[in-house]
Amino acid sequence: MNRWIREWSVVGVLALLLAYLAWRAPAFFQLQPLLSLLAREAPSLVVACGVAMVIIVRQIDISVGSQFSVCSVIAGLLAAAGWPLAAVVPVAVLIGGSLGLVNGLLVAWLGLPSIVVTLATLVALRQCLNLVRQGEFVNLPERIQWLGLSQSQGQWLLVGGAVGLVAVLAWGLRHLAAGRWLYAVGSDAEAARLAGIRPRAVTLGTFVLMGALTGIAAMMNVVQSPQVQPLTGSGLELKAIAAAVVGGVAISGGRGTVWGVLAGLLLLACISPAMVHLHIDAYWEKAIQGLIILAAVMVEGLRRRRNHAR
Amino acid sequence: MRAEPAHPPAPGAAAGPSWRRWLLRYEVLLLLVLVVEWLLFYHFGTSVNRRGVTVGFGTLDRQFDILRHSCEIGLLALALTPVILTGGIDLSVGSLLGLCAVVFGGLTHALGLPLPVAAALTLVVGAVAGGLNAGLICQLRLPPLIVTLGTYSLFRGLAEAFTRGSVTYSDFPAGFLVLGQGRWGGLPVQAWLFLAVAVSVWIWIHRTVAGRACRVIGFAPEGARFAGIGVRGQLTAAYVAAGVIAALAALIYTSRLGQAKADAGLGYELFAITAVVLGGTSIFGGRGTVTGTLLGVAAIAVLKNGLATLPVVMRLNAAEELAGLLTGALLLAALAAGKLAERLRLSSVTG
Repeated sequence: MNRWIREWSVVGVLALLLAYLAWRAPAFFQLQPLLSLLAREAPSLVVACGVAMVIIVRQIDISVGSQFSVCSVIAGLLAAAGWPLAAVVPVAVLIGGSLGLVNGLLVAWLGLPSIVVTLATLVALRQCLNLVRQGEFVNLPERIQWLGLSQSQGQWLLVGGAVGLVAVLAWGLRHLAAGRWLYAVGSDAEAARLAGIRPRAVTLGTFVLMGALTGIAAMMNVVQSPQVQPLTGSGLELKAIAAAVVGGVAISGGRGTVWGVLAGLLLLACISPAMVHLHIDAYWEKAIQGLIILAAVMVEGLRRRRNHAR
Repeated sequence: MRAEPAHPPAPGAAAGPSWRRWLLRYEVLLLLVLVVEWLLFYHFGTSVNRRGVTVGFGTLDRQFDILRHSCEIGLLALALTPVILTGGIDLSVGSLLGLCAVVFGGLTHALGLPLPVAAALTLVVGAVAGGLNAGLICQLRLPPLIVTLGTYSLFRGLAEAFTRGSVTYSDFPAGFLVLGQGRWGGLPVQAWLFLAVAVSVWIWIHRTVAGRACRVIGFAPEGARFAGIGVRGQLTAAYVAAGVIAALAALIYTSRLGQAKADAGLGYELFAITAVVLGGTSIFGGRGTVTGTLLGVAAIAVLKNGLATLPVVMRLNAAEELAGLLTGALLLAALAAGKLAERLRLSSVTG
């Protein structure tokens, strides 16, 4: 229990918020709006889990927003050109993976700092997309929407898919050797190397996986609307990092869980609809999210200080 | 200006005559890139001025335009240089610019304070915001990346909340607009302010004990503490100064555009960080120069404005996009070149 206190405290805050909502604004718990909210947040959840893994290996990826846009637009174009969904999804995942591979190669093999590399790819990918598309929307064929199902069926499928993916990642990080490698490399790359793990390969693999997850997330987003907006996904990187940090992933690497990220993302995602239901001015959303991030790191810092003093 | 070694010379790097070492300095290479950029645009660029007359890239007006438009990002880059030298980062400067612009607008319009008082209070707000970052980072020992990610969201959110997302303050008196639109002694007014800040930061970083301490902290925080450096004090100074400079940039921004809105300076932090890193400052801290930052800012500004004067780019209407793309590529190339040079140097020492 004590080991996961950081994650449980986020779950506790989320439960408190939901309990308060149940008391003051029971309307929040209508099925359809809640389902829409979860479906809308499903892509962010998948990306946040990817970012959490990158942070666990003590790197960072701030280019996910641009990767997300590139995957969305290309997937949209292919779908508009008449490709079947079964072909578009693997291509999106492949594109995401190869964008992740570029970041991974620069970071793992050239040894460049990941924050600068992904800053460069963030700007370069975004501008490349603007250059080619000039801000044009992609109109999607009707058969793509909600995977060809009805809206609520599609939403259930997306939420279910995201939860399934998160469960697989959580299990993999906890029980697979490859999952433990992430923690080993993130805690101490040199010690991991001496233990027979190849830190560079692990880092590279994590970036590729991050890209592939971004591709999946992009598809989850594309099927939810009739158009692909080229600016979708800008700012996603900060949202994902915020969710990871609030969910207890340590920015210094080697610590964090996927279910913590899930709780962190849900907490941040509930703020905006909760404010609507509690009749709070919607313009405070960003400020409140900022305060939550600061509160989360402050709790962490104070706890560490107490442990040191002991 | 005496060329001062930016970092302790690596073993084997000290070989060769001094002019050769000087030529291989990163800043000199960057200056070369800048000159080539400038000459290319001077030769191929054309543009149309406000009266519809075609003027070249090389005209004085054009150069002043570039200076005017790059002052705010330049100031943020100067603000970030000491912070990054200490091994930290400040993602919140762009949001703080927005918050300060809105605060200034509110103080002059809603409260009707006289301009100098409002401007001074805005700088105080910047200092307090920087102090908040510093307090969380130094007193609680939290990672700067996450703290300033939180305040990035917080400051922008406060700016949006104050203006309810829609209020735009405009109708500033002409006396204030001079700051961002007028000229003084031949140069744009804000260029003088920029120069003053640049010289101050240069003296701080390269000519004072405090500046040296910043680098030592970036190299080895624990070592700095054992060496008797007041780490908390130095870090606090760096973050508070960043806040004040961001507030100054907010005043200039407001004056240049004649309006203050909650989205002022959105995304500026990325350009500023890019300029600093392109200028040769290590993102891990300990290594870097103010001259490098200035050259980095200039390289990005000239690229962006110069591309807009090329006929091909004008036809495609793609100046901004190409500039972003090339800046990203330039940043990666600079990093990779630095890494390769380091490896070559190492292999020449061991081999």
